[in-house]
Amino acid sequence: MVNIKDDFKDLDLTVGDVFSKDARLKARNVNVFYGINKAINNVTIDIGNKEVISFIGPSGCGKSTFLRCFNRMNDTIDSCRIEGKITLEDENIYDDKIDVVPLRARIGMVFQKPNPFPKSIYDNVAYGPRIHGLSENKEHLDNIVEESLKRAGLWEEVNDRLLSPGTGLSGGQQQRLCIARAIAVSPEVILMDEPCSALDPIATAKIEELIHELGNEYSIVIVTHSMQQAARVSKRTAYFHLGKLIEVGKTKEIFTRPRHNQTEAYISGKIG
Amino acid sequence: MENKHILSSFDDDLKKLNDNLLKLGNGALTNFDSCIDNFGTQDIGKIEKVINGDIILDELDDKVQNLGFEIIALRAPQAADLRRVIVALKIATIFERIGDYSRNISNRTKLLIELNYSDLPGVNIGKMGQKTLTMIEDVIESYTNEDDKLAVKVRNSDVKIDKMHTQYYLEIVASMQRNKKLAPTGAHLLFIAKNIERVADYVTDIAEQVYFLVNGKVLSDERPKADESSFIIPE
Repeated sequence: MVNIKDDFKDLDLTVGDVFSKDARLKARNVNVFYGINKAINNVTIDIGNKEVISFIGPSGCGKSTFLRCFNRMNDTIDSCRIEGKITLEDENIYDDKIDVVPLRARIGMVFQKPNPFPKSIYDNVAYGPRIHGLSENKEHLDNIVEESLKRAGLWEEVNDRLLSPGTGLSGGQQQRLCIARAIAVSPEVILMDEPCSALDPIATAKIEELIHELGNEYSIVIVTHSMQQAARVSKRTAYFHLGKLIEVGKTKEIFTRPRHNQTEAYISGKIG
Repeated sequence: MENKHILSSFDDDLKKLNDNLLKLGNGALTNFDSCIDNFGTQDIGKIEKVINGDIILDELDDKVQNLGFEIIALRAPQAADLRRVIVALKIATIFERIGDYSRNISNRTKLLIELNYSDLPGVNIGKMGQKTLTMIEDVIESYTNEDDKLAVKVRNSDVKIDKMHTQYYLEIVASMQRNKKLAPTGAHLLFIAKNIERVADYVTDIAEQVYFLVNGKVLSDERPKADESSFIIPE
């Protein structure tokens, strides 16, 4: 069963279409180093407008490192050095003139473990609009909080206890609160780094449904170890291995007839 | 299955599925071989064996369906594994149907023996059966070796069976028109020829599944067909 993959033995070439007709984020020849170790090797890919794309690959393949390049989260690591170019709406996000605070509002992030602030549910969501000066008055801020909680599918569960601590919610609710916090500042892109790995199947299903709905408004990049989650939520999937982008393509094709033997081995749970 | 899964029990499940599918395929092959042979030898004992043995193929089909269903539910197979399971489920059903046709041919052979039949002029059921038998052997080989080229060859060879069926149809009807006493014999021979032609069609379906298994895409071109019996009124 090698016929469809024999052409793609060279790991220096990414198999599949890395470009998008309607790209919002563009990464070009990106290399990431931790000290002398190269964690990401010459990755080029577009993230489309209103696209849900999954990054998959074994632990240590660089998918989270690459994800964190998109909102300059790696800037906080002293030994980390990035080469290449990443643009958001054709603006170089690594330009010296770029302020990372508003950048991280435009490109929000949801982490593996829910990390609500030790504040009320209301203040968790209101935090971003306040520091970015997005609300005109209290009533406007109330509206932003309500709308964000509704879009995160949490409003019905918390509207009678908005002043209760966010940390008092269940794990799944906390994660949706973090998503509400991210979308409260009207981002263009939401990055999700294994957002469901700490959640039970029901909470996971709610987050996945939310990703599906939010995908109509935002570009969403999700790093996941769950093959089934990638298959369920994303239209496009990118497979990373040893810091290289091996293959990218429509999710339904990646999971039914991947073109690269490395992709096939990984998604099938085989020894490569 | 050149690469092993990290989870070895997944390999065990796939092997079990494959082993049972091949057992079913070889059983269908044996029964068809026997029913064609029995048509010539008129050995009632062996004919009964084919008729009674069909239930084993039904049970093997059930087993493959259950194994495939469990693998999908418990293992969530992907890519080539997914194709392997889906193809196994489809092929198993086809082999089971080939078994049904062998049983039907055997039932009719029993009646023909009562009618003291002999081959009608221009009709050679044994020859048609042998050519179809070769197709079954080849398609099983193509599946076992994941040989998509052989699968395509098998698929395209069905034309010969189609042509034989059209010819036999006309010859059998002509014999029935010449001698009305041959009508019961002719009627059963028409069904037997049609059953063999359908078995060959089923073999092409298996060949197409083998192609899909290997390549991950379906054969896009139209399968060559030459059975004109549905469009001809004999003179």
